[in-house]
Amino acid sequence: MSPLLEIKKLGKRFPARHGREPSPWVLQDLSFSVAEGEFLTIVGPSGAGKSTLLNIIAQTDTASAGEILLGGASVTTRDPRALKPGIERRIGYVTQDDNLLPWRSTIDNVLFALEVQGKLDDASRARAEKLIQAVGLAGFETYYPHELSGGMRKRTALIRTLVYDPPIILMDEPFAAVDAQTRTQLQADLLRLWEMGRKTIVFVTHDITEAIALGDRALVLSKQPSRIAAEHTIPIPRPRNVKDIFALPGFAATYEKIRADVQ
Amino acid sequence: MIDATAPSPPVRASRRRTHLDHLLVFAIIIALWSLATWHFGTYWVSSPWAVAIRFVETVASGELLRHAGYTLSEAALGTLIGGVPAVLLPLLLRRHPVVVAILDPFMVGGYGAPKLAFAPLFIVWFGIGMESKVALVVTVVFFIVYFATLNGVRALDARLVQTAQILGASERHVARSIVLPAAIPSIFAGFRIAVPYGIAAAVIAELISANRGLGYLVQNGAMNFDTTGVFVAVLMATLLVQAAISIMNAMEKRLLRWRPPSEPWLETGT
Repeated sequence: MSPLLEIKKLGKRFPARHGREPSPWVLQDLSFSVAEGEFLTIVGPSGAGKSTLLNIIAQTDTASAGEILLGGASVTTRDPRALKPGIERRIGYVTQDDNLLPWRSTIDNVLFALEVQGKLDDASRARAEKLIQAVGLAGFETYYPHELSGGMRKRTALIRTLVYDPPIILMDEPFAAVDAQTRTQLQADLLRLWEMGRKTIVFVTHDITEAIALGDRALVLSKQPSRIAAEHTIPIPRPRNVKDIFALPGFAATYEKIRADVQ
Repeated sequence: MIDATAPSPPVRASRRRTHLDHLLVFAIIIALWSLATWHFGTYWVSSPWAVAIRFVETVASGELLRHAGYTLSEAALGTLIGGVPAVLLPLLLRRHPVVVAILDPFMVGGYGAPKLAFAPLFIVWFGIGMESKVALVVTVVFFIVYFATLNGVRALDARLVQTAQILGASERHVARSIVLPAAIPSIFAGFRIAVPYGIAAAVIAELISANRGLGYLVQNGAMNFDTTGVFVAVLMATLLVQAAISIMNAMEKRLLRWRPPSEPWLETGT
């Protein structure tokens, strides 16, 4: 079976500013693939171009070199005006900032995608309500984003993407800005939701523990220009208990191996 | 639920305090006015008491309200005709910055031009009826609201647009569900400034040539050396502006429920 998402020799450099040296490559010769139903984590130091990589896959930014195949077909473009963010709803993107619409309540934020896709019916409403309950947001449906805590906003942003069920979901350090305890809870929520549907997920993080706790496989990005420095299969069986991940057999050894690769 | 409608005791106390202060300032203004009347004589400055009596009389006879109604209709119609395209144009031109750039010098010119100076011209073109007043209000309202909306559209968070596009929003959805709600605070800021100017523009156009409206009452009072009549008409125009601002405040409160509440003592009437 061919992989669902394939990145081939991807390169990115930002346009040179007038009168300056051409800017350096942020990503170069970056290749990897993701199988259907796989939870892939990508670890890299700050400034390794992790967000840039996801922006290019989600088509909110162009690639300067290389190719991206989605379901075996090329979706690459070099023309910023030809970009199709989310490429026809096949790629969901949970960004680092929650980017909730401040004028919409929790439920209306969750229903937004269904609304604009013309998929709003009783079944999809029930699904949204189920997701809201699954992440503990029941009772907060009519709250506006500014009335929610940081963790609640993250959960809202997460289920806003899960609710319309895109085949691939990209996640850009979605839990980086919350405290450690909330983060563990959010990771557990995410794993529970993922076990329910087994979506294909590409999850970017700078936190090695998070990469091990969530992923089937972890890729390590090098410093700029970024490429894949190493690849590790996570030997910890599922379902995993995120809170006790340190104690599980295989964790320590994997952690050491990945840490040695992260520069 | 956080109940924003029930103010906490300190807020209520500070509100009562504000009302008391309003009364105090009102009393000072009346005192100064009375002083001016006493100093210059009622021939030049009508007394607060005479103005109050005339106000009640002309309201009771329906005359004042009829004139106020004309002025209000002109201002409302002009605000609508000028305001709607002023809101729509920046929204529609969001994806066409080149067109905005081409229009810009002309819009800046229109914004800066002393529109009230067009009043005689509009009267020549459209006659002394309602049309010339509406035309003046349109020119006053349009440019203010256009630039306010344009600022709101420009300040739009591009990440919200991208997020919406990823979630499957078409250009139409983006305009209606992202750009418009994001620009609402700026649009309101524009109307808050434009509406009082619009009412003033209607009054001034009536001053120049009309046979009805508050401006006509001012002009008529001045010609007959009836300062009481002038004061009554100006007072009525002020009340119209106050009423318009109250309506806009109520609308804004409703439309902008989603914003974090501001401190109550920072809220002002204008």
